[in-house]
Amino acid sequence: MLLSFRRDQVDSNAASHNNNMEAELDSFQRQVAEKFTDLNASSSGDDLLSLEWIGKLLDSFLCCQEEFRAIVFNHRSQISASSSPTNRLVSDYFERSIKALDVCNAIRDGVEQIRQWQKLSDIVISALDSRRANVGEGQLRRAKKALVDLAIGMLDEKDSTRLAHRNRSFGRAKDGHNRSMGQHLRSLSWSVSRSWSASKQLQALASNLTTPRQNDVGLAVPVYTMTSVLLFVMWVLVAAIPCQDRGLQVSFFVPRQFRWAAPVMSLHDKIVEESKRRDRKNCCGLLKEIGRIEKSSRVMNELIDSIHFPMSEEKESEVKQRVEELVEVHEALKNGLDPFERKVREVFHRIVRSRTESLDSLC
Amino acid sequence: MEKNDKDPDDHHDDHNDKSSSGEEEKKGDVVSDANPPDDAHHDQDGISKDNIDEKTDHGDNVDKVDSPSGQEAPEVHQTLESLSEELDQLLSSLSLHQEEQHKDITKEKQEEAEEDDDYFQIPQFVGKFLDLFEDKLSKHDSGDQPKTTTTTWYQDPEEVSSLLDAMDHVSNLMKLLLSTKSCLDDHEPLINHAGSIQQRAMAFLEEEFRVLLEESVIKEPPAVVAVTDDQVQDHHNDDTQDHDQMVAPESRDEEIEYPGYSEEMVTLLKKVAEKMKGGGYLCECREVYLVARRNILMRTLKQDCEFEKVSVDEVLKMSWDTLEREIPIWNKTFKNCSSLFFPGELKLAEKIFPGGDEDEGSLFCIVTHGLAIQFLGFYEAVAMTKRSTEKLFKILDIYETLRDSFPDMEKLFPEELRSELRNEVTSARSRLGETAINIFLDLENSIKSDSSKTPVPGGAVHPLTRYTMNYLKYACEYKDTLEQVFKSHSTMEREEVEEEKKEDNSAFANQLMRIMDLLDGNMEAKSKLYKDIPLSSIFMMNNGRYIVQKIKGSAEIHEVMGDTWCRRRSSELRNYHKNYQRETWGKLLGFLGHEGLMHNGKIVKPNLKERFKSFNATFDEIHKTQTTWVVNDEQLQSELRVSITAVMIPAYRAFMARFGQYLDPGRQTEKYVKYQPEDIEDLIDELFEGNTSSSSAATAKRRT
Repeated sequence: MLLSFRRDQVDSNAASHNNNMEAELDSFQRQVAEKFTDLNASSSGDDLLSLEWIGKLLDSFLCCQEEFRAIVFNHRSQISASSSPTNRLVSDYFERSIKALDVCNAIRDGVEQIRQWQKLSDIVISALDSRRANVGEGQLRRAKKALVDLAIGMLDEKDSTRLAHRNRSFGRAKDGHNRSMGQHLRSLSWSVSRSWSASKQLQALASNLTTPRQNDVGLAVPVYTMTSVLLFVMWVLVAAIPCQDRGLQVSFFVPRQFRWAAPVMSLHDKIVEESKRRDRKNCCGLLKEIGRIEKSSRVMNELIDSIHFPMSEEKESEVKQRVEELVEVHEALKNGLDPFERKVREVFHRIVRSRTESLDSLC
Repeated sequence: MEKNDKDPDDHHDDHNDKSSSGEEEKKGDVVSDANPPDDAHHDQDGISKDNIDEKTDHGDNVDKVDSPSGQEAPEVHQTLESLSEELDQLLSSLSLHQEEQHKDITKEKQEEAEEDDDYFQIPQFVGKFLDLFEDKLSKHDSGDQPKTTTTTWYQDPEEVSSLLDAMDHVSNLMKLLLSTKSCLDDHEPLINHAGSIQQRAMAFLEEEFRVLLEESVIKEPPAVVAVTDDQVQDHHNDDTQDHDQMVAPESRDEEIEYPGYSEEMVTLLKKVAEKMKGGGYLCECREVYLVARRNILMRTLKQDCEFEKVSVDEVLKMSWDTLEREIPIWNKTFKNCSSLFFPGELKLAEKIFPGGDEDEGSLFCIVTHGLAIQFLGFYEAVAMTKRSTEKLFKILDIYETLRDSFPDMEKLFPEELRSELRNEVTSARSRLGETAINIFLDLENSIKSDSSKTPVPGGAVHPLTRYTMNYLKYACEYKDTLEQVFKSHSTMEREEVEEEKKEDNSAFANQLMRIMDLLDGNMEAKSKLYKDIPLSSIFMMNNGRYIVQKIKGSAEIHEVMGDTWCRRRSSELRNYHKNYQRETWGKLLGFLGHEGLMHNGKIVKPNLKERFKSFNATFDEIHKTQTTWVVNDEQLQSELRVSITAVMIPAYRAFMARFGQYLDPGRQTEKYVKYQPEDIEDLIDELFEGNTSSSSAATAKRRT
């Protein structure tokens, strides 16, 4: 009933239709611009690429996708009836969006990997927790073991095998039995096949993306907008979260004339800059929390190496301080990962649903 | 104060007596060498410190202990055991001591309690115990050193209990030392030393736990649900025999289900987990467990079900041939996970970590949840592939798999995850259901749009009818599922159309009816392609009969369409039959009428000759064409012939009887009476054979 009523309405209002559409598309551009302006504004300092910020980015994506779906639905008679180019444009977006699904899956695996690191840091914390009386050598060694596993786990895949080997050959010769868990942790991926590559997937997402002229009528501009948003969001996910064959070498450029171009490009540039920073260059993900865990575990590692027994009070208080830092990141991950993972899953489902519904309404 | 002072010493003396009496014969030396407990305190610290300072030289220490002649080894052994007992005494007295302290604390001021605490002293044998334990660890724990024996520690029950007991003692000792204020102040080096040894012990256990998990599966888990052939069972039996020597006799006949650890092994794993938990190393233990279990599970799925990860993109790019082979693998894996692997994981996790650890989440969930999600992702991806009618059956297979196997799977998960998974399954099922419904719509459309203009030669069954009916027949093997799918996943718009039908039929039945109607309409249109009206009747009969036979031939589709529909269909067929009969044979019968042959009681011979000539010519023509017509259904073919014979033969006989006499016998009769009634009968029996060269065949047959 509702559906057929709307269809009638659209048809009968065909005259004013063009004006309506223009207004609708304009509002879409405005909304996308607002979302990204917000995201850009809240990307200062430690916020950019934090779990919370990426969560916000995903929310924005979901909103844009919803808007876009509504536009497609409202103009479906026009899209399916009109010249096939529009139809092809819209279908192209939805087919493209499917490529994001594997990214979502790989990201979920990445989240699982971060969870492992969180647990290793948990071990470090409980070993060095000064509330539990004084820290002995045993606990230091325990922490050290977890830290080494953590360091191996956090290396980019390519380097991990080498390091695991090196570590076994001298770093831990003393505890010869301590086979590393680092490589062990690698195999946690459920979701994508072994040959899958995040970097190739991003390239596929970006391939043949043509920029419409701004005065292109019809849905060319919203389709381009939505595709860019999708690509950008997936690119950020891959940048931030560890996943198979990470790579950010996708050329991403939005011409200035789009209202949302400025904030998106600004974010893009910031992230590229971040990825080039010396300390993050070879990391397994630009997520802020990963950086923090990486840093505090490295510092902790060095600190432990410098400790001689009996521990001086100075060292003791330093350990205490480092543990507190680690606890802070640990808490952030503990509270942030679950909701984040759910959101990634939500993105997966929304992409599937929008595609099915939109393609159904078009035929 | 005095009491506290006395307590440990009393115990200790007791103990000394006991142990010396027990060990007198064997090793009086060792006992007598031991310093008296009271003097021990100071020296003890010294020893501990030495130990720590020399910790890099532990390897040497080990050698010193191990290298002397074999005779000393048993002594060392005995000592560890006996010292354990001593330690037991000490620990229990200590905890008693502590309890009293706690009571005191509640009553008195804390400061005083702390002063009390100061009194506690640690006997020297504790250090000795730690040294011996460390030696023992070194013996087992030397990855670099070649193994001296072929058996590992866990294959020797005595060694297992001695080692694990010692771990317990160390952990308990640590707990007590750390919770006793005075120890912290006075015995830091000892605590430090004990902690190091504990860490070493725990790291040892951690590694052993991993190895045991990964390498002690004593046989392949029994092959999975779907495969039940004898071969596998034979193989299975062989396997059991192979392991007879290793497995205790009682467990020989026991079915060891996935994950395939013997009861003894599970018990050992559980003990190790307990020890690690007792030492405060549960985190490590859980990590090792879940990583190992995940890897093992994945490996098992690969071996037993040929299961491989596939990404969404790959599914969408796969050819249907490949995907068609892939889907049963996923279904089988899903079923086996639901009935065997996941329950096995849950049981194992519960056995090894009884009571669980609510804060950290269930290990079972962490091991399996991602995999469950992965299944659903694959199924969603299948539902996203380009729709085509051939995919219906695999889609329904998936639908059934989720419907039938998910309930057992979801039961295994705790509430929150369960409802999350259920949502995902529900959404996957809707998607699959909608796809199935849309496939029927596609079928409708393909029937509607089939407008091939070439009539099938001989009025035979049209390929579209064949395709559609065979498809529907196969589809109806999924009848119950389809009924459910149409009931649950029809969209609103669709349902309104159903409503209009106002029949008691199920949505699926209505769908089938609609397809039948469309097929009927299409065939009717195609029948118009025949110029010959009787041939279009034959065409309609052929198709109609094919449809009815297909429906009657399969209980499922018959049930859906119902008897009423079949009866209506059969009566429609009778109409076509009548039409055919009238069109073809009515005309011929006309030649056998009496009118115009008699004039004033006399036969009009030229008219009679004309009649016979026309009859013969017409019949020949009919025979010639209609032997090329096709009626594949034997029953229909014989029905047609019988009914034709029933009409024609009596009429012809009567006509012959009445008028044959008027023709002069001989030449005239031979010329005009071409056929005897029996000949007509024979020729009728040649109709609908679909012979392309029928006339010659008919003639040949007649001559013989």
